[in-house]
Formats: sequence, C-alpha cells, structure tokens
Amino acid sequence: MATESSGAASGRTRKPRSGGITTGQSRAGWTFVAPSVALLVLFVLLPIALAVWVSFSDWNGRGSPLNPDVNFVGTDNYAQILTEESLIKRDFFTSLRNNGYYVLLVVPIQTIMALLLASILNQQLLKARSFFRTAFYFPSVTSSVAISLVFLFLFSGSGAINEILGYVGLEGPTWFGDSRGLLHQLLGALGVWNIDSPPTALTDTTILGLSAWEWLSGPSVAMSAIIMLVIWTTTGTFMLLFLAALQDVPTEVQEAAMVDGANRWQRFRAVTLPHIRPTVLLVLTLGLIGTWQVFDQIFITTQGGPTKTTLTPAYLSYTYALDNNQWGIGTAMAFILFAIIIFFTVLQRLAFRDRAAARQRRRERAANTAAKKATAQTLTTGAPR
Amino acid sequence: MTTTTTGGAPNTTPVLAGTLDTAAKQRRRRISPWTAVAVGIGYLVLVLFAFVYIYPFVIQLVTGFKTNPDATQNPLSLVPSPFVTEAFQRLGETSFWLWFLNSVVVSVVVTAGRVFFDSLAGYALARLPFRGRSATFAGILIILAVPGIILLIPKFLVLRQLGIWDTYPALFLPLIADAAGIFIMKQFFETIPVSVEEAARIDGASTFRLFWSVILPMARPALITITILSFQGSWNEFSHFLVASQDPNLYTLTKGVATLTSGQLGSGNQYPISMAASLLMTIPVAIVFFAFQRYFISGANAGAEKG
Amino acid sequence: MPATAVLALTALVAACGGGDDPAPGEGGGESAAGETTGVALTVLIASSGDAETAAVTGAATAWAEETGNTVDVQPAQDIQQQLAQGFAGGNAPDLFYVDASRFADYASAGNLYPYADQLTDPEDFYENLRTTFTFEDQQYCAPKDFSTLALQINNTAWEAAGLTEDDVPTTWDELSTVAKTLTTGDQVGLAMAPTRDRLGAFLVQAGGYWVNEDSTAATAETPENVEALTFVQTLLNDGSAAYPVDLDAGWGGEAFGTGRAAMAMEGNWIRGAMTNDYPDVDYQVVEFPEGPAGKGTLLFTQCWGISADSPNQAAAVSLVDYLATPEQQLANAEAFGVMPSRQSAQEDYVAAFPDDAPFIAGGEYGRGPVVAPAIDPVMLELDAQLEALRTADPTEILQSFDTNAGGIVGG
Repeated sequence: MATESSGAASGRTRKPRSGGITTGQSRAGWTFVAPSVALLVLFVLLPIALAVWVSFSDWNGRGSPLNPDVNFVGTDNYAQILTEESLIKRDFFTSLRNNGYYVLLVVPIQTIMALLLASILNQQLLKARSFFRTAFYFPSVTSSVAISLVFLFLFSGSGAINEILGYVGLEGPTWFGDSRGLLHQLLGALGVWNIDSPPTALTDTTILGLSAWEWLSGPSVAMSAIIMLVIWTTTGTFMLLFLAALQDVPTEVQEAAMVDGANRWQRFRAVTLPHIRPTVLLVLTLGLIGTWQVFDQIFITTQGGPTKTTLTPAYLSYTYALDNNQWGIGTAMAFILFAIIIFFTVLQRLAFRDRAAARQRRRERAANTAAKKATAQTLTTGAPR
Repeated sequence: MTTTTTGGAPNTTPVLAGTLDTAAKQRRRRISPWTAVAVGIGYLVLVLFAFVYIYPFVIQLVTGFKTNPDATQNPLSLVPSPFVTEAFQRLGETSFWLWFLNSVVVSVVVTAGRVFFDSLAGYALARLPFRGRSATFAGILIILAVPGIILLIPKFLVLRQLGIWDTYPALFLPLIADAAGIFIMKQFFETIPVSVEEAARIDGASTFRLFWSVILPMARPALITITILSFQGSWNEFSHFLVASQDPNLYTLTKGVATLTSGQLGSGNQYPISMAASLLMTIPVAIVFFAFQRYFISGANAGAEKG
Repeated sequence: MPATAVLALTALVAACGGGDDPAPGEGGGESAAGETTGVALTVLIASSGDAETAAVTGAATAWAEETGNTVDVQPAQDIQQQLAQGFAGGNAPDLFYVDASRFADYASAGNLYPYADQLTDPEDFYENLRTTFTFEDQQYCAPKDFSTLALQINNTAWEAAGLTEDDVPTTWDELSTVAKTLTTGDQVGLAMAPTRDRLGAFLVQAGGYWVNEDSTAATAETPENVEALTFVQTLLNDGSAAYPVDLDAGWGGEAFGTGRAAMAMEGNWIRGAMTNDYPDVDYQVVEFPEGPAGKGTLLFTQCWGISADSPNQAAAVSLVDYLATPEQQLANAEAFGVMPSRQSAQEDYVAAFPDDAPFIAGGEYGRGPVVAPAIDPVMLELDAQLEALRTADPTEILQSFDTNAGGIVGG
C-alpha cells in the first residue's frame, strides 16, 4: 500500500513517469504472478472442478469425463456412500472408524512427545542439543516409502521388534497381519467383556453399516504398527516448532515465578504453557489435517488389510477410483473426506480458541503482577524473597 | 526502570545490583541439585529416544549387506554374517538407476521451477500494485487450505484431460504449483524495507531488473528455504507419481522402490533388497539435510507459520 | 482479468478432450482395426516371474520377426490398476492378460474387442473356458491357459514325521490328522492363503460354492459351505494350518519353500517358483483329499484381451493366433507351468509332464472363479472376512456374502 500511495503521489508531480511506473508495475505484477496462478488454476482449481463433476456423474473411466455420453446422476454416488445399505457404505464407515482411532492416538501422542522432547532440549544446561535435534528431526526428512519399508522389516513376524519382545519374555504378534482390535483386547483383559462371545447388545446393534461391537474395536494391531511409524516420523517436526516457541518464552516471567517459589511443574503450567498455546494449537491443527490424509504408509505396508482394519478414506477413495473403476464413488469419497477435515479443523479451533486467549491473558496479567510485586519488594527490602 | 538488558531483575543501583548478584548466586546454588537431577533424567530420556530414532537407520544400513536368511533370522544383529553385496547387485539389475535419474530430473526441475515462480509471485503479491492482487492472495490462502490428498484423483483427471498423463511433464508440472512457497516468499519480501526498492526505482530500473538484481539477492535465506523444501518434497513425493504415470520408464525412485515390495523381484519377502533400496533412496536427502540443516529447520518453522 | 484467464484455461482444457470415444459394447462382426505388418504392439502381462516373462517375450519376438512388426512385452506391477489407468487414459496396451475374475468388468464397460471367432480353430479351446469368457452371448477373448489347485507335500518333512505313501490323505479327516502330525515347533502342517481363491476349494469339496453354476445367484449360506469353513477354522485353531503372513511369508509357496509349512495348496505355478527360488526342496503333488461331496478344486484361467480402442487390433489378433497354437501352449507349459487351454494339446501335455497329473485331473472337477461385473469389492470383502476366520462365525461370513453379492448377481 505504501508503494501505491507513493506512486500516486509522484504521479501528481511527474505525470508521464508516474503513469509509466504504476502501469509498468501493474503489468509486471500480472506477469510475475501469472505462471504461478496458471499452475495453481490448472492443478488445483480445475482438478477440483472436474472431480466435482465426476462425483455427480456416472462416468465409467473410458474417454473423457466431459464427453456427452456421461450423465448427471445427482447425489447417487454420495447416497451410495452415506445412506444406502451397501458394501460401499460399510467400507467407507470402516475406513472412518479406522482413521478415527488413528487420529485419536496419533495427534495427542505426537503432540505430547514433541513437547516433552522440546522441553528437555530447551534446558539451558544441556549439551549436544543439535545432535539430538538432528536425530529426532531426521525421519521427517526421509521418504515415507523408505520408512515404511524399514518398518515392514522391523515389524515382521520374526523381525527386530518381536526379537526385542522375546528378550522380555513376550511373544510378539505378526503386527501387519494381525487384525485384532486393541480396545477389544484391552477391555477383554480387564473383564469388561468376553472377546470370544461379545455381548449381543453390541453385536446386534448396527450403526451406519457396522455393528456397535465393530465400532468399539479400537485400532487393530496392524494399525497400531502404522501409528507407531507415523508418530516416530512426525514428532521431530513438531518438536522443532515447540523448540522455537519455548525459546520465545520470556525469561523474566520465568524468573519471577521462580522467585515466587513455584516448582518446575507449576512454572510449566502457569508460565510456559500459556505462552506456547498458539504453537500447541498449530501442532494440533497440523496434526489433525495430516492424520486424516494418511495414505502412503497404508499403500506400502498393508493396503487396507488385514480384514480392512487399516483402510482409510484416502486409500479407499483411491482404490474405488483406480482399482474398481468407480470414479464417481472415488471422487465423492475424496470430497466427503475434505468436508471431514474442514469440520474437525474448525471444531478444534473453536473448542480451543476463546478459552485459550482468555486464560492466556489472565495468566499474563497474573505473571506480570507477580513480577512487579517481586521487583517492588526487592527494591524496597533489598533482598530476594 | 522496566527495561531489562539481561533476563534478570532490573539493575537500578550498584548497591541493589550487588545484593541481587548474591541473591542470584544463592538461588543458583539452592536449585542446583534439583536442576542436576532434572537434567540427568532429561539426558536419559534423550538418549533413550535417540536410540529409538537412530537404531532403525542402522538396521537399514546393515541389512542391505545381509543375505535373505540372515536378515530373517537375525534381524537385530548389527553384523552381517556373511557380509554380501548381493542385494545391491540385484538392485542394480532392476531399473533402479533409471528411477534415480528420473527422480533427479524431476526434483531439479521442480525445485528450479518453484524457486523461480514462487519468488516472482511472492514479490508481486508483496510489493507490486495490480488490480486483483488481494483477490489473488485470498485465492492462494484458500488453496493452501485444500488438503493434498484430496487432489490425488482430481489431478489424474486433469492430466488425462490435458493429454499429458503418462509423460514427463505430468511428473513435474503439477508439483511446481506451490501455494505454500508463494506464501513464504511473500511474507519474506514484506520484510524488505520499501526504501530499498524506491531507491532502485528512482534510478530507472524496470521492475523485473529491480526484482532480479536487487531484491532477489537479498532473499537468499528464503530462497534457500524454498529450495530445500522443494527438493525434499519432490524427492520424497509418492502419491502424485502413483497417478501421474504408469510407464515403467517414468518411474521415480519412490514409485519404483514401492514396486519392489509387491513382487516385482519374484516371490517372497526379500528384505536386504528393500533395505538396500530404501538406503540408497535416503542418501541424497540425508546429504542435503546435513549440509543445510539450519535451513531445513527454519523451513519447518516457516512452513508451519502458514497454518 | 483473473476471470478471463481462468475462463481461457478452462476452455483450453475442455478442448483437449479425451480423444475419440468408440461407443461401448460395439462388438461382434466388427473387423479388426489397423495393419498387420509394420506395427508396434504393446503387450501387458501379469507375470508369475522371470520364466513367464522370458517365455512370452521370446514367443512374441519370434512372431514379430516373422511378420515384420515390433512387440514390447511389459510385466505389470499391478495389472488391474495399470489397465484401469490405461482404459481411462485411452491408451491401454494393445494386448493384455485378462483374468477371469475381472473379465466381466472389462467386457461390460466396453473395453474389450471381441475377436474370438477370428482365431484358428476356436472350438478347440475347452468348452468351460470359452464360457468363462463369454459375456452377453459373445465370446470376447481366447483363454490362454488354465491352472488348478492341488496339495503339495514336502517329502523330507513327511518322512521325518514317520509318514508313508499310504498316509497321503484322501479324506478330510485324514488331512486333519496328517496336518497335525506334521506340525512341529517351527513348522506348520499346512499353509493356506486367506482368500476365496484357496479356501473355496473346500467349499467345492463339500458340495457347495459361493454362487450357482452360471453365476446368476449367490448361494453362500448353505450347510455345505458352513461345514467347509468350519473345517478350515478347526485346522487353523488347532495350529495345524496357518496363513502365510503368520509364517513370515508373502504367499503359500514361500512358506512351503522356506520350510515353514510342510504342505501347501497352490496351483501349477508353484513348479516354476520352486525350481527358481527353492530348488532344494523335495516335494510331491497330490490331488486334494475328497470332501463330504467328493473331489473338488479351483480353476484359474486368463485370456488374451485386445483393447477396443487399439488401432492395431488386426496385428494383435495375429499375435494371439501365434501364441495360442498348441505348440506354443506346450512350450509355455514347459517354461512356467500352466496347462494348455486347447484340447488338442492335452495328450502331449500329459505325456510330457506326468508329475502334473494331479493338476490336470483337477480340470474335470474344478470350479472357476465368480464372474460378474463389479463383483470385485464383494470378493475383496469376503477375503477380508476370511482373514479373520479363526475367530469369526462362518455362517455370518457366508450370510454377508449373500447380502453383498445378492444385489449384483441376483438371488
């Protein structure tokens, strides 16, 4: 804006030159932005438009979706996925269940782990910080294909993980081949139900294509291997974000709280946490957006199995379109997933935002008052409390 | 009275300063044992995690030199017995080096394209007045909000429609479209003082020359960040290559290596080969990472700011 | 200005349409497109290994030299997906394998060119194989070979467990006993893949199957099928049978070859795999034991599909003719263990490969895969449920198949 106004100003005094400057800049602006805009239109906007059309059509994969033989079928595809009793609906809600448990586990764990590592690394007396930082961040830099292959090896039936478990006397499962649900196993072990004869109330109630018993299965053993893979990979990135945020926490407030006699945990809760709350929100949002899109790792390791317990909406959409040739269904699923991601992101922001801001303001005020009190007392008495 | 030079309490008079000094020393001494314990536990946790983070890569390295039975029976051991390079040789018999070449070409083209177009667009959005500038920027923000995986099938449809599916351009053109990079460059250019541009413009420089010779050199940190992010992103990209082509001659490393697990090598699990492949795949990115670590890290932060 | 740019781009994109679209389903009597010489053909095969790729490439090259064409034979990494992308992109390969289970999908979508009546001596192909590749009363393609399942027994493990020739199982009970005897600490009696393409054999032996004879009704939930699946479940839970993934193997043949399983139930493709990858294993092949309803096994077959959009159909038909001669079929049989689909080649095959007698015998009582358009997701769901057979209820699995398949096949 400053440029514009100065340009206008000079326009009033040096007429021919100014016209040249502003239109020259304007033209330049358009030329500069054109290639990128063209690429974004071609490969983001147009694809979405084309896919929206396909999701409302009966295109069967031959020729162009814009050819006159292709018909508009309204919300048929969406209905098949969401409302009609069909295998497609069952597959889709299975994928939602699987991805739901995945999100539920990955997002909190990776956030907490990243924060934990960042806090430890942030301590001033720590040496070799950059070594650890590099070690934790490196997996994020490597390809998901390479990592998935390594984990396929580590988690194979006679692989490294099971060998380690063997050292402590446990017999590891065949990880990627094991479809047992963890929640089933856990609550079964606690005696809440019997896995071999599940309560009929649960097995007989059908919600959205799956029985209640199936909804409560938890992530399968195979899914948990993938969960571990992803947490291992992404914690480093979020750790970096937290590190940057932690280093921004003003130390006077910390010192003041220390003077107040707060121990480490209270200091963390009262001073550090509010200051890094924006970063926590960011990590949660990025986590939500990322976990709902999981695809590469599923493709390389399990392809949706065993027993469809690692099926996710992204992978399902891909297979319905490219393997089963049901393009309308595949694209419709992609857009439903889009809606889900937006829904959860908005939900998370709403759920956290106001309370966070308010609490942060309150804490800052409290911390500032504490700091002022401490300074004042030190000044008047000449001795620390 | 309220400004602080260090993080400590404000220094008002020498008397007080002296008192505060002793106080600080007392504080340090008092907290010291607890801090030491905390730091000790911290080290323990860090070392444990470092082990968990590094050991898989060591296993990856070592398994490439094992035989199939050795890999299956002694997965944890760090010493291949016998030590063979059979896996790497068999890898060489596949089209591995073609995939490598394809990856290199695609990554270089995408990186160069992104750096060039993103900086152009970012500068225009930051500093050049043109009608529709704010609309364009709003559009970019909206595009930023679109989750990548949603575009997987749509991009396939468009590539087919344009007739470039299963060709080289299909591999790199869609990847050059990069809203995040434009955002990062725009944010950076906004930090360059306008006076610099004004001075150059008064000298009569055309906008492009101004951009190329004056602004761009000042943007080195951001450019390097974009370069690193682009290289890493395109080298590791997988799902896009899945749909962009099917010709085996157009396989990039990620897609080619992925086929190794689905039986292209014949029946059965052949871990040394897949470990060798994933090792070779990781090395270029690892080299770039270690050479440009701090740009990766600032890139991670910058990329997150858009969120 | 931005609006104009977007409009221009959209117009450009719409103009770059997908090319000519021949109306789907236009079949029989249409003459093949293209020349028969000076043509470059692309062939996509789902190869079982190097042996098959080499054999097909060799034969195709010989034809190419004879006719003055060029051929590019590619083994597919994922043939379903590559064909899907090819059909969508309008650039499918000229010639490709079509598995019986996917045939109905491709035929109903109009992706195949029906050329079967243009071949030499089309009646020579086995009747039931020709029927498999007939859709809406039109035979679209020529079956190139077929395979059946049989029981493989590791002779070393057999003798080590104290078993003799007499103990080769001929009933389900005997199979059960033998499998249990063969199960030691690190070896399981029988390896079987958790898919309808293996476990279905037990259904046939019990007298049932997933669908009826002409795939017009789903018949999964019957007492015979329940009996079959329960039998399999017992074997699994006894520990005398296991899935390959539990044996650290990618498929039954690998578990058999690495010694993790003493028996396997694979088809004649296992011969090539054993020779190439596990040459030291001493094994024999026997027919499956009889179930409550007698003998039963599964048939697999593929045909040579020619793309409806191909500009080189005439050349492709010529190539198929060349590849489908009895001599070539016998050569393929030698190279990678498939059985000729031409009746005239049968005698010579039996004479050349007496060890494969159990496989050939299966040709008489074998049951082919379920063939119906868009049945694939239902079959994948069935496989997914079979993966959990250990703890599942067989009746429920069969019921759910009937529900899912009912809408597609009828019944």
